[in-house]
Amino acid sequence: MKIAVAGKGGSGKTTIAGTLARLMARRGVDGMVAIDGDSNPNLALTLGFPADSISSLKPMPRSVLRRFTDEEGQKRVGLADPPDVVLRHYGIGAPDGITLLLMGTIDHAGGG
Amino acid sequence: MCGAHAAVRTLVGELVEQNSHPTMIDMEAGLEHLSRGTLRHADCVLLVIEPYFKSMETGARMTALARELGIAHVYALANKVRSRSDSEALQEFCRKRDMSLLAEIPYDEALLAAERAGRAPLDFQADSPAVAELQRLAGELDSLGGAKR
Repeated sequence: MKIAVAGKGGSGKTTIAGTLARLMARRGVDGMVAIDGDSNPNLALTLGFPADSISSLKPMPRSVLRRFTDEEGQKRVGLADPPDVVLRHYGIGAPDGITLLLMGTIDHAGGG
Repeated sequence: MCGAHAAVRTLVGELVEQNSHPTMIDMEAGLEHLSRGTLRHADCVLLVIEPYFKSMETGARMTALARELGIAHVYALANKVRSRSDSEALQEFCRKRDMSLLAEIPYDEALLAAERAGRAPLDFQADSPAVAELQRLAGELDSLGGAKR
């Protein structure tokens, strides 16, 4: 089951996503992955990382994506490695057995 | 379009499509991930709305976009519900706009206090009213997931 939490800024979606992920993990949902797709890495806090540890968490580097040309000659962008390899390399162990993936700061050079 | 945001969106979309784990995604604010199809491989989209018109209206637009993507389970989650009249307004709006309201999370001072203390709500006060409603919701989602785990 892949669940996305969306909404306006300030609606509380990050608090809900983080808390729900942990509650589901505690119910026995195994191997839960939490993806922080927001540009502010706040999901880590609601998952239970101490506030002063958050700045040291490593987001995924741009190199997880690569450009390639598909069978029809179309240029596309996709994962450079299989998802389990990405999880193993960049997944951050969170409380209740959750693996956190941080996207937040992939190449912020372009600004918002 | 901003390249950095597009890259993040691509990466989220690929991970949602390809990884085989149960996954919880905290999306960026706004509509783009729905209008651009980033979430087309999600099984369930939870749209967080608050009990005021603009927020509910955004939720209705997002509901339509998520359904267009063919996502099987699209629900509204009300947050920061303070009163009976909040609750009635939410229920009436959702009924009129054909949205299915899966949970009403009460306004909860404990969440603010947790945020100020730099702690997760679950570690700060596990029995707070908001966490209790999320607990109930986790059970519903778990049974919804069933075999899809």
